[in-house]
Amino acid sequence: MSEIAFFGAVEIGLVYALVALGVYLSFRVLDFPDLTVDGSFPLGAAVAATLLVAGVNPWLASIAAALAGSVAGLVTATLNVRFKILHLLASILTMIALFSVNLRVMGRPNVALLMQDTVLTPFYGLGLPDHVVRPLVVLLVVVVVVLLLARFLASEFGLAMRATGVNARMARAQGVQTDFHIYTGMALSNGLCGLAGALFAQTNGFADVTTGIGTIVVGLAAVIVGETVLPARAMLWALVGCVVGSILYRLAVQLALSADVIGLQASDLNLVTALLVAVALILPRVRLKKAGAAR
Amino acid sequence: MITVNDIHVTFGRGTPLEKHALRGVDLTIPEGQFVTVIGSNGAGKSTFLGSLAGDVIAEQGSISIDGIDVTRWATPKRAGLVARVFQDPMVGSCTALTIEENMALAASRGRKRGLGLALGHDRRHHFRDRIAELGLGLENRLHDRMGLLSGGQRQAVSLLMATLSGSKILLLDEHTAALDPGTAEFVLGLTRRIVQENGLTTLMVTHSMRQALDYGDRTVMLHEGRIVLDVSGEERAGLDVPHLLALFARQRGGEDITDDSLLIG
Repeated sequence: MSEIAFFGAVEIGLVYALVALGVYLSFRVLDFPDLTVDGSFPLGAAVAATLLVAGVNPWLASIAAALAGSVAGLVTATLNVRFKILHLLASILTMIALFSVNLRVMGRPNVALLMQDTVLTPFYGLGLPDHVVRPLVVLLVVVVVVLLLARFLASEFGLAMRATGVNARMARAQGVQTDFHIYTGMALSNGLCGLAGALFAQTNGFADVTTGIGTIVVGLAAVIVGETVLPARAMLWALVGCVVGSILYRLAVQLALSADVIGLQASDLNLVTALLVAVALILPRVRLKKAGAAR
Repeated sequence: MITVNDIHVTFGRGTPLEKHALRGVDLTIPEGQFVTVIGSNGAGKSTFLGSLAGDVIAEQGSISIDGIDVTRWATPKRAGLVARVFQDPMVGSCTALTIEENMALAASRGRKRGLGLALGHDRRHHFRDRIAELGLGLENRLHDRMGLLSGGQRQAVSLLMATLSGSKILLLDEHTAALDPGTAEFVLGLTRRIVQENGLTTLMVTHSMRQALDYGDRTVMLHEGRIVLDVSGEERAGLDVPHLLALFARQRGGEDITDDSLLIG
């Protein structure tokens, strides 16, 4: 793997770390299997790219992208909480709808960011090569998000949100408005995915309506890899695990694709991803079975 | 003080499985009273408790707690007034959270939950002192997950959690039914102590007539969604399990009691 390929993998791993954190919030904290992510990630990219082309400040555009993602999360949560549609189905409905919404936002299937200023622009002139600057800037964002999220989940409000996911009945008996916490958690989760989409568009120089496909699987892969590598109980370390998992996952994929011996092409990415996640899900079960048999 | 006025609850209305679970329950419980509730399976005990906690909303009648009409309030809103311990220790606590996190959840019952730390230094200290009172050595295990505790330990912690927010009403839904007899005895003793120390108005649903008479100061029997027996004071002091059974049989028009679960204990 070349140096550029290595930094490229770290960079994309860090971008998707935000997705992993969002997926951790929905799947793990709220116990809400949410596929909205496949729509809110490209939505973030679309909103950010469109605003950048219109000359809006890059940070403002990124925040707008995050807010757009939050709204998508709220739609899914409303379908589930208010109208009692099964969570998985509710999220698929939002995801499908977002495909059309994203086309509307951009007005065409993709938007290129060639000359526009991005959040990265101010950092390019500081003497470091571009392919190093990009992951560093994203890392900065990820560190801030991890710290804020850890603090949030340690708060009274965050604790109530965790209880909502673990045992909603008990949470209600303790006075927790579980519905409200599902809304908030879903908005937060998809807001992070929208932000990830915005950073993806700015680091890669384009937004495309098809970039969302499989985002949820990548996010889940990162969460699972993170849990395997860093089986931590403390909240902060679980979040760091998501980030580490996301980077490791990207490096593994990069390694698989760049090893000519295996003969994989870039277009095999989704197949490799699905296989990796399947293996990651099967392995713990096999290990459990073996442990059971040994006893 | 709890005032229940002619409440009715029907499940599955308009379906072939329609069940009129509560058919006009009237009950006034003065502050500080400890009431035990008995009845056979399907008599409406759990539904009655659920209607006080807010899990079940009565379609007719009214419920007021401390003079506040809570008939239409959902569970989370009532939680500020009412504490609860469930039959299944798994239901009553968050097994994946630590003991202190569970306690923090309970301590904020009925209060607004903001962005302040759930477990600050003072709170940890306070929780350590409180859990030490149980005498189970749990003060050194505050960071352990709740799921690591035994059923009895978990019910003991649940009882303690019920007292953390200062609410004055305690609902116990067969909270010792899932425990072995020795542990059940311990948890019941603890219940009595906690109720006395905190002057709690308590409703305890139980399957055991023995427990119903041994604990508390008033016993209520439910049958087919109605209160068929309500004894307290000297009348209750003179009662024994066989008497109670006879009274129950008379209520049912001389019918024999065939429900084994009612005779246990």
